[in-house]
Amino acid sequence: MPIQVRIPVQLRTLTNGEEVVSASGTSVLEIIEDIEKKYPGIKDRICEADGKVRRFVNIFVNEEDIRFLDNLKTPISDADEVSIIPAIAGG
Amino acid sequence: MPGPLEKYSRQVLFPEIGEDGQARLIQSQVVIFGCGALGTVQADALCRAGVGSLRIVDRDFLEESNLQRQTLFSEDDVQKGLPKAVAAEQRLRQINSQVRVEGLVADVNYKNIDQFVEGTHCILDATDNFETRFLINDVAVKYSIPWIYGAAVGSYGLSMTVIPFETPCLRCIFESLPPAGISPTCDTAGVLAPIVNIIASIQVAEAIKILTGNSHCTNRKLISFDVWKNCWKEYEIANARSEGKCPACQLGRFEFLEGKEGSTVTTLCGRDSVQISQGGGNSLDFEQLAKRLRHWGTVHFNQFLLRFNLDHYEIAVFPDGRGIVKGTKDTKVARSLYAKYIGS
Ligand SMILES: [Zn+2]
Repeated sequence: MPIQVRIPVQLRTLTNGEEVVSASGTSVLEIIEDIEKKYPGIKDRICEADGKVRRFVNIFVNEEDIRFLDNLKTPISDADEVSIIPAIAGG
Repeated sequence: MPGPLEKYSRQVLFPEIGEDGQARLIQSQVVIFGCGALGTVQADALCRAGVGSLRIVDRDFLEESNLQRQTLFSEDDVQKGLPKAVAAEQRLRQINSQVRVEGLVADVNYKNIDQFVEGTHCILDATDNFETRFLINDVAVKYSIPWIYGAAVGSYGLSMTVIPFETPCLRCIFESLPPAGISPTCDTAGVLAPIVNIIASIQVAEAIKILTGNSHCTNRKLISFDVWKNCWKEYEIANARSEGKCPACQLGRFEFLEGKEGSTVTTLCGRDSVQISQGGGNSLDFEQLAKRLRHWGTVHFNQFLLRFNLDHYEIAVFPDGRGIVKGTKDTKVARSLYAKYIGS
C-alpha cells in the first residue's frame, strides 16, 4: 500500500500543487527517493548535499520526529503517514 | 460579581481561572512582537481579557491590504497613514481603559530586544519573519520568559509554546534559519484571515494559561492547521531536548542575540539605499524567486544579481542572500520590504 506524504506549502511548486502525494518504500529515505523520482528537485529541498535532513526542516512519521527514531533509516510500514514540516514565518 | 471584576465575570466563572487567576492576569505584563494579522488578534483578545500591561512593538505603517485580516484597524487609520503600533494603541485604549497599553514603533533587533522584554511575563510572537522569531527565542530562553510561536501563510499555520528549560525551544525543533528567499510570505503567497485567527487564538489561550498560573495546562506539541485542506495535526516534540545539543536552551549560546547569526542592516550613505546581509551564505535559486516576484513587480536576473522593482523601490539580491534596498534610507522600511518579498 502506498504511503501518504504531506508536502509543505514551500515545496508544492514541485508537486504541481499537491499537498499529499503517494510514495512507496520501507524507510524514510526510500520514500524521499521515490518522491524525488516523481518530482525531481524535491530531495534537494529536504536534504543537504551530504544527505542529512536540512536543519530548518523536520520530518515526522505519524506524530514522531524521525530525529528521535532512526532518522532517514526510520522504517515505514503500511498506513504510516510521513509529514515534512519546515518552519514558516508569516504573521 | 460586583466591583472591578464584573467586566471579567465570564472569565472568572471559568473555574480554572477564577478570581485568583484574574487577579494574576491583572498584574501581568505581556509583549507582542508584530502588529499585523496575528498581533492585532492577540492584542484585542488579551486587552479584553484584562492583562495588566500590553506592549506592542511593530515597525510598519498601515496599508489598505492590511484590513482584510488585521482586526484592530479601520479605513480611517489607513487614510491617516498611521504606524500600526500607534493605531493599535488608540483602538485598544477604547476597548479596555484598565489596561496599560504601549504601542512602540520600532524595528526589533539584537541590540534593542532586551529593553522590550524587561519585566514581561510572557511574549507572543506575531512577527512576519524568521529572524525575529529566532531572536525572540534567544531572549526568552536567556531570561527564562515563556513565549508562544505562531505563524501562518496561505491557509496553513503552526504554533508551539516554549517554556524555557521545561519544554523544547524553537531551536530545539528548527536548528537554523531557512536561507533567504525560499519560504513563502503572506505578501507573496497570500493569507486567509481564518487561519490567522485560529493561530492567534491558540497563542492567546496559551498565554492566558501561563499568566493565570496554569502553565501545566499548556500544549506541549507542535500543532498545525490547514483551513483549506481540512487538516489538523499534532506532532510530538517532548524528546527534542534529549540530545542535549540545543545551542540556545542547552548550550547557552545565544547566537541571534549576540548578533552572530541573522542579518546586519547598514544604511549606505549618500545612496538612498540600505544593505541587508544575511548570515549563512546559501546559494539562492533566482529562477524560483523570480517566478514568485513577477506577480508583484518587474524582475531581471543573471547569475550574479536579481533586481526586483516595486513602486519606487528596487531590491537587488545577491546569490548569498545579501540584499540592497534602493529608494529608502530607513532601515525599518528596508527590512520590512525584504521580509515581505524575499523572506528572511
Ligand atoms: Zn532549545
